[in-house]
Amino acid sequence: MSDALVVRNLRKEFGAVTAVNDISLDVKKGELFGLLGPNGSGKTTMIKLLTGQLGMTSGDAHVMGIDVQKDSIKVRELVGIIPEQETPPSFLTAEEYLEFVARIRKLDKIKERCDKWFKLLDFEDQKNALCKDLSRGTRQKLMFAQAFLHEPRFAFIDEPLINLDPIIQRKVKDFLKGYVKKGNTIFFSTHVLEIAEEICTNVAIIHNGKLLHSGPISSLKKKRQHLEEFFLRLVKDA
Amino acid sequence: MLEIFRSMMKEEWRMHATMIGGTMFAAFPVMLMFFSFIATFFLPIFMTVFSIKSIALLLHFFFVFFGLSVGSFGLVGREAMNRRFGQASLIAYSSRSLPVSEKQLFLNFFMKDLLYYFLLWILPIVAGFGIGMPFVSFSIDFTFMHVVLLLVSLSLSFLIGLSFVFLLSTIYVHSRKMLIGLVFLMFLFGLIAGGFYNMATLSLLPSFAFMLDPRLSLLLISLAMIIIPSSLSIIFLKIDYPVSKKKHKNMMKSLCDLFRQSRYSHFIAKDFIDQRRSHGGVGKIIFSFLFPILIIWLLLFVFFQFIPTVNFLVMFAICMVMISSSIYNWVTQYDLFVSYAFLPVSVSSVIKAKLRTYVIMNIISVLVLLFVGLLSGTMNFFLPALCAFIGISAYVLAITIYIAGLHPNVMLYNAKLFLMYAMSILPVLIVTLVVSAVNPIWLFFSPLLVLASLPIMKKSYRKWDSTAQAWY
Repeated sequence: MSDALVVRNLRKEFGAVTAVNDISLDVKKGELFGLLGPNGSGKTTMIKLLTGQLGMTSGDAHVMGIDVQKDSIKVRELVGIIPEQETPPSFLTAEEYLEFVARIRKLDKIKERCDKWFKLLDFEDQKNALCKDLSRGTRQKLMFAQAFLHEPRFAFIDEPLINLDPIIQRKVKDFLKGYVKKGNTIFFSTHVLEIAEEICTNVAIIHNGKLLHSGPISSLKKKRQHLEEFFLRLVKDA
Repeated sequence: MLEIFRSMMKEEWRMHATMIGGTMFAAFPVMLMFFSFIATFFLPIFMTVFSIKSIALLLHFFFVFFGLSVGSFGLVGREAMNRRFGQASLIAYSSRSLPVSEKQLFLNFFMKDLLYYFLLWILPIVAGFGIGMPFVSFSIDFTFMHVVLLLVSLSLSFLIGLSFVFLLSTIYVHSRKMLIGLVFLMFLFGLIAGGFYNMATLSLLPSFAFMLDPRLSLLLISLAMIIIPSSLSIIFLKIDYPVSKKKHKNMMKSLCDLFRQSRYSHFIAKDFIDQRRSHGGVGKIIFSFLFPILIIWLLLFVFFQFIPTVNFLVMFAICMVMISSSIYNWVTQYDLFVSYAFLPVSVSSVIKAKLRTYVIMNIISVLVLLFVGLLSGTMNFFLPALCAFIGISAYVLAITIYIAGLHPNVMLYNAKLFLMYAMSILPVLIVTLVVSAVNPIWLFFSPLLVLASLPIMKKSYRKWDSTAQAWY
């Protein structure tokens, strides 16, 4: 499998604080790659850097062969992103928001695409409510839908399950597993280890902006080690 | 009670300090004081053309108008702040989670606004005048008491405006129809009474009358004009937390079809939907746009008895540029770039889209100019006035975008940015006024300012595309 994401010596400083410290990693096509770490470890900053939402201090990153620093718009055209904070525009309805995103992405068959997601994530009854009046969970569903509306080959998703009920969580997990089986790639950030253990093929663990571990989840299973134990030990020793 | 007030003061400071930096925010009143100090030296020149009474009157009405605009921002400010800081984070909304009544919060909010604007605007302006006064020789003997009196009367003027608009906004929350009817009646009254407007009528403003003749009765009338509307606002206060189960018809498709000529049709559609559905709706346009225009019209009507050299319609067009530039503020205040950052959209393309919306919405300004031209019998100057309006608007907007990008509302209180803005705009306004006084025909050249604005815009696009956008 070829690389969907190549990161070399990535560094991000905010004044005196180093949020991401010299990280290198590779993600192959078809992987469901989990980026794990405690709160404030640099996961969200990583996603913002890898999708060109933030400028890097040094290092480089290529997504699907495209240099993020040189053409971040192209990267965001190709990939789907679920941001950490669900911030759809307040005064658009859920349906209008998806239509708005579809038009930004110059998609066809807008209605069909939107309806598919309303049905899949079970929020058809909310499609005419204003985004500001939606519950956090429904807003999360909406952000999920906008990220996959254009059926991207690569998606960056930041804590996508946190506000969802168990029924929708199951649907989303099944969707993600099926999605990578088709050869697509997902870069998934979370601090919920059970979810990562259940669905990810590979994981990287970061703490205080530093990469502590990167490898397939199967190697942990072979050693009969639980991800939680492994994670806690790594973070404690760091 | 005092703790809420203290916390609100801290909150206001930190909010501005987060957005523009503490030093720049703190420098704002110092800059205003400096401006006022310098302006004091020019006062004797102005006094050769205008009487000191008319200058003071203008200043008082400016503060009434300022109070109105501060109050009207309260209508839309909540949503703008919600967007920036999250819905539950402001103390003003804490009655949902803390044992504090909404009335208590509103009262504190009112007092906080009063103290904040007093310290930020009124005190520095009067202090600058007070410091400059001993160095300038006036035909009238100004004493320290005059300065104190001015401080009191300007504060009263500001509060009269603020209380009035708070009352209107309370009426609005109860019944939009009642408010629209009331504003329409006021407009009608203004038109009918237009013939009677003169210095004597305007001088009836109690705070101004109190400055001229500091009698207790005038002070009490001024206070009544503040306390009665404010008390009514608090008594009938109704806060509707913006969570509703209401369903809305999809407007995106039809609006995109309407603006299909533009490649930014979806952004323009979104801006129109924001304006339509945000708190205030039509009321917001009345408060922030038509109401100030009405006041400027009336003021110019009076002051043109003293400055006949400049054409009324041209002067009105120039004043309207400043008010219509607030359209750019409206269309940017409901958006944060964070909502687009994860989509294939650049900052410059969002700015370009906002520009299109601004141009479309500014059709209202052109209609108002036409209406005023017809009503004032100055239609023969409509074309030069329109040229001036178009040229200066383009220039002012280009400068605003260069300086503030997608955050024009933040710009005002950043001393450095505000200074840059004022220094870039004022020369153009002054030259336009002088040229129009010499011969309005020269104003046909003002659209050249549109051409001058193009390189500024291009530079702005490059600047903002390479600047990390604020996440608040």
